Amino acid sequence: MALPTYVYMQPVAVLATSDVKETPALNAPLAKNYIKLNSIVPIPAAEIAPLNQVLIKTFSATPVISQPQLEKEYRDLGEALTQMTELDEGSEWGIDPPVYHAACFVAAGLMINSFPAPRIFNHGSKSVVFNWSDKNNNNLYLTVSADRISALVSTPERIKKRLDYSSNELLNYRSLLGSIRSAQLQQPILMLASGTSDPPESVG
Amino acid sequence: MKLGRVLDNDRLFRHCVYPIAFNTKTSSFANQKMWYFKPMADGAIHASLAWERYVPTLEDLHGYGCRLAAGINERKRLRQGTKYREKDRHHYCGAYQVKGKAIRALAFTPELDGIESADIVHQIEAGEIAHVDLRIVLKPGVDEEGTKTAIVDRLWNACSGPLKHTCDCDKDISVHQSSNLGPAPAGKYSDARPRFLRSWRIVRFRLFRWLWINSVPAVLSSPDPRSFSRRQWMKIKFHVCEWLWRHASRN
Repeated sequence: MALPTYVYMQPVAVLATSDVKETPALNAPLAKNYIKLNSIVPIPAAEIAPLNQVLIKTFSATPVISQPQLEKEYRDLGEALTQMTELDEGSEWGIDPPVYHAACFVAAGLMINSFPAPRIFNHGSKSVVFNWSDKNNNNLYLTVSADRISALVSTPERIKKRLDYSSNELLNYRSLLGSIRSAQLQQPILMLASGTSDPPESVG
Repeated sequence: MKLGRVLDNDRLFRHCVYPIAFNTKTSSFANQKMWYFKPMADGAIHASLAWERYVPTLEDLHGYGCRLAAGINERKRLRQGTKYREKDRHHYCGAYQVKGKAIRALAFTPELDGIESADIVHQIEAGEIAHVDLRIVLKPGVDEEGTKTAIVDRLWNACSGPLKHTCDCDKDISVHQSSNLGPAPAGKYSDARPRFLRSWRIVRFRLFRWLWINSVPAVLSSPDPRSFSRRQWMKIKFHVCEWLWRHASRN
């Protein structure tokens, strides 16, 4: 079967809550990676990791993570994002639908490219922040708004780099992920515990 | 009510309450959730801290945290009514310390050029005399969300601690989440105040609190309190107490 040259991006795969064993029909190599948003995003087949790839590498010198584990963590991430949209309108901890869609879009790109699942938090309804950190407290943040993404790389001592991406660059996610990879930390990113994502609360 | 100025070397504390600063699935501490900025009407963003001057002992510091969690639970109880479950209550876990100058330095960090000003203002809130308002004004047109992320990152890296605590009302919790508070990037908390200075400040604070508690009833029961509003009396009372305090000690 020829590999498709287009992947329909939709939150379904990111947000799937059922065990993957319940969908035996989806054993075609690419089926699990079908993720849809509101748009069709062309992704070259060569970029999509084959399903039977048991171990994948993230960033440059990162611990390997099994594909099922990665999928589970992205499902948890999707659930957390969904919960954030289900909160009452006006809630400080909820996010706006356009932010949710943008976050799902970015999460889909991250998963397809085998990035470890990030932790998430937010500053209010206008953004979601994806965060990775290592044991030396170096951090990479992606602040995802409805129309832009900003990346921040920091060490305990200082902010090393800040990058901003407009909505046009957001649609060209190949170049976006390339830039994020180029902003990677020097130390390996640790795979954080699964289910690290919760709708946030605050004490003010 | 705006009051005294927080100095650069003054120490401030951010309280952590479960589950707000935690991942509820894994119960792991999530430092990014510890800082949350609320937008104000004038466009600034703010967060709450406690000032060491008014919580000079660990007992005072943790007392503030226990009242904070109790207040959250009370509001939750009123909101949820019969659905409220005591076992799901919030509980105070501890606090992290940050210095005033680390907060003010945000406005002078080259990578945070979107910040117009960053300051800490003493502002009594909900009866908490130690409450200070961390207030940050962003420049118009900046990437507000990305800048908030950078602020959260810098503030966490300026923290030391934690100072863990279990409130008396939470002793029935089998696995208290205070044990999950993670180490802060700036190291462990240490009270660097000389012993005599610390003791003097505690005495001074107790005196101040005594004046605070006892002066209001006397003022309000005076023969003609109508010429002043209650709020004005509160301001006068506070400034009298501050004056006494400052003249009692220059430290």
